[in-house]
Amino acid sequence: MKLRLSQVLICDPASGFNGKVCDLLLQEGIIQSIELSESGKIKTPKGYKELSLIGKVLSPAFADLRADFSDPGFEYNETIETGCVAALKGGFTTVAILPSTQPPRDNKSAVAYVTGKSAQLPIQVLPYGTATHGREGKEMAELYDMKLAGAVGFTDGNNAIGNAGLVLRILQYNKIFNGLLLVLANDQNLSDNGQMHEGKVSTLLGLKGMPAIAEETFISRDLELLKYAEGKIHFSCISTKGAVELIRKAKRQGLQVTCDVAMANLCFTDEALTSYDSNYKVLPPLRGKQDQKALWEGIADGTIDAICSNHQPQRIENKAVEFEYAYHGMATLTHTFQLLLETKPTTVSLMQLVNALSHQPRKILQLDSHKIEVGEKADLVCYQLNTRHQISSSGSKSANSPSLGKEVTTKIEWVIHSQQLHIIA
Amino acid sequence: MKKFSQKHLLGIKDLTPADIQLVFESADNFKQIINRPLKKVPSLRDVTIANVFFENSTRTRISFELAQKRLSADIVNFSASSSSVSKGETLIDTVNNILAMKVDMVVMRHPAPGACLFLAKHVNAQIINAGDGTHEHPTQALLDAYSIREKLGQVKGKKVVIVGDITHSRVALSNILCLQKLGAEVMVCGPTTLIPKYISSLGVLVEHDLMKALQWCDVANMLRIQLERQDIKYFPSLREYSMLYGLDKEKLALLDKEIVIMHPGPINRGVEITSDVADSKHSIILDQVENGVATRMAIMYLLAGQKPEI
Repeated sequence: MKLRLSQVLICDPASGFNGKVCDLLLQEGIIQSIELSESGKIKTPKGYKELSLIGKVLSPAFADLRADFSDPGFEYNETIETGCVAALKGGFTTVAILPSTQPPRDNKSAVAYVTGKSAQLPIQVLPYGTATHGREGKEMAELYDMKLAGAVGFTDGNNAIGNAGLVLRILQYNKIFNGLLLVLANDQNLSDNGQMHEGKVSTLLGLKGMPAIAEETFISRDLELLKYAEGKIHFSCISTKGAVELIRKAKRQGLQVTCDVAMANLCFTDEALTSYDSNYKVLPPLRGKQDQKALWEGIADGTIDAICSNHQPQRIENKAVEFEYAYHGMATLTHTFQLLLETKPTTVSLMQLVNALSHQPRKILQLDSHKIEVGEKADLVCYQLNTRHQISSSGSKSANSPSLGKEVTTKIEWVIHSQQLHIIA
Repeated sequence: MKKFSQKHLLGIKDLTPADIQLVFESADNFKQIINRPLKKVPSLRDVTIANVFFENSTRTRISFELAQKRLSADIVNFSASSSSVSKGETLIDTVNNILAMKVDMVVMRHPAPGACLFLAKHVNAQIINAGDGTHEHPTQALLDAYSIREKLGQVKGKKVVIVGDITHSRVALSNILCLQKLGAEVMVCGPTTLIPKYISSLGVLVEHDLMKALQWCDVANMLRIQLERQDIKYFPSLREYSMLYGLDKEKLALLDKEIVIMHPGPINRGVEITSDVADSKHSIILDQVENGVATRMAIMYLLAGQKPEI
């Protein structure tokens, strides 16, 4: 694939060309040259296809820290293949997938099931392994063996590990081979069967609440364990104001802690639940306005490293039931970026969003950076801002998103990954 | 003629104060009717109503059924124990199957909060919420407010305390909303473990000392302890609950005024209320039951009037 991209605005905080309108030459999946468009230095060499991109923006393609591709076990929700299509449509070319499969991905052959498919997939799909056998929270899984097989981190998904001694041992053990534990903080004794965030809205709806302290006491505990273990930890999908403050403080103390927030928690609050729309039933739950504000502040000041899609597809039978019986989850991969742009406050720049969706997730997963510089891999997403585009479900196997059919102002035009140009309809 | 603003009765949340007044005025008429020798009117002669109960109920169900019979509606009863629910059928399928037999209105009780709203969105019938989990029980709130109005002349300006398990009570939430819409002041009183943390955001007072609450109020609505909805223990024993929040003659005697005692039933005698209080002149518990029929007649009559003319 030989391409000349012309007159495109670069948005990449890691690039020297950030904020500039440039021309680029791509060859065999590598960025061969970049020059300012106004310099006119780059001509179209023979054999190169030209893409004129006036008014469009180019960023490093997005990487997702948390998606559920449900395969094997729940292929009626999503398969690895359909998940990849959804990811591409959303501008993601790297996706780390949860081990919440059936059976759970808790051994090397289950990890190899994913890595074995990688050659056939249009994007890079990276498996997490479970932190404990069977995701049961009782005994440590064979973390090292899974790491050798390609697991990029260890997590029990939506199951928080209640046993503090076990968490400590995992943190300590991971240090031997630089493994990463990812935790969704949720004290299940406190959030016991909760359906949504505990607050005024849950009181009015008669739904059992999950208090913010269920997340915060858990994070406090794990931070203490981290201090003791002198290891590293990643908190997935933090959702409360208190959680942001705890992690801000821990980072100031120099602990090796990183965290991410799910798109849904940045874009929606618990008020979205007033009509009992089960598409808003997610884990962690949509919190209050103050929490949402604190999360955006966390993005702005870098306390929150990354934004994840927390893509959790659910078939209609899992959602078109009474709220209490509906499964948690929102299918988000195809429109994570667009919804973030619709919602972001002015204190957060497009550049910060790109950083949190692209560079930071790769850094957390210890992957090479993909910045827009000469000699780097061409792993790119091109999009148009200030346009009109309707969010469609096409791609994902499930349609459990409240945003389908909604109009947004950003359209993803195409993605380049592994020398392939994918035009997004 | 004034019109009811809602197509369904899903919760007090959706009603305007004018709607509630309209229910009261209609209930006044129906109360007269059910006290006549000829208790039946032909108002709902062409209306078929399904009573769909996914939770046990005796009094609410009998009250609805009687109200429907007094209005000459055709009725069909369905309960979860004899249903296909245990066979894995979804709520929408279950109710659509009933509606395929040409039913106009569904009175539903269901353990899941929001189930009635969910149903209203998905099936083509008028829905009346007869209690949805820990959310709302609008007809109970309407009959409670109606009973206060009957006893004290009006609801506006009255002080009502709701005592007991507020967290697991649909009666509490509907009562709070209804009484506030009518201009009453509302307090909740109960063990700290059974009062939702954010309840004061609804504009109610919170008190944990029953004597202080009784001193404050004109009306005390003593809720039943919902042991069946408590999956864990919120207080050590019924005995201790009763020591703290049980209403007995001794506590009433300490008051320097008379208050009205209510209870949505069924009563756990000796737990939240002693027999001598339940049967005393202060109690309007049986009036509530009688008013339940009149109020439910009013609601079904008003909702049936919402149907488009053919």
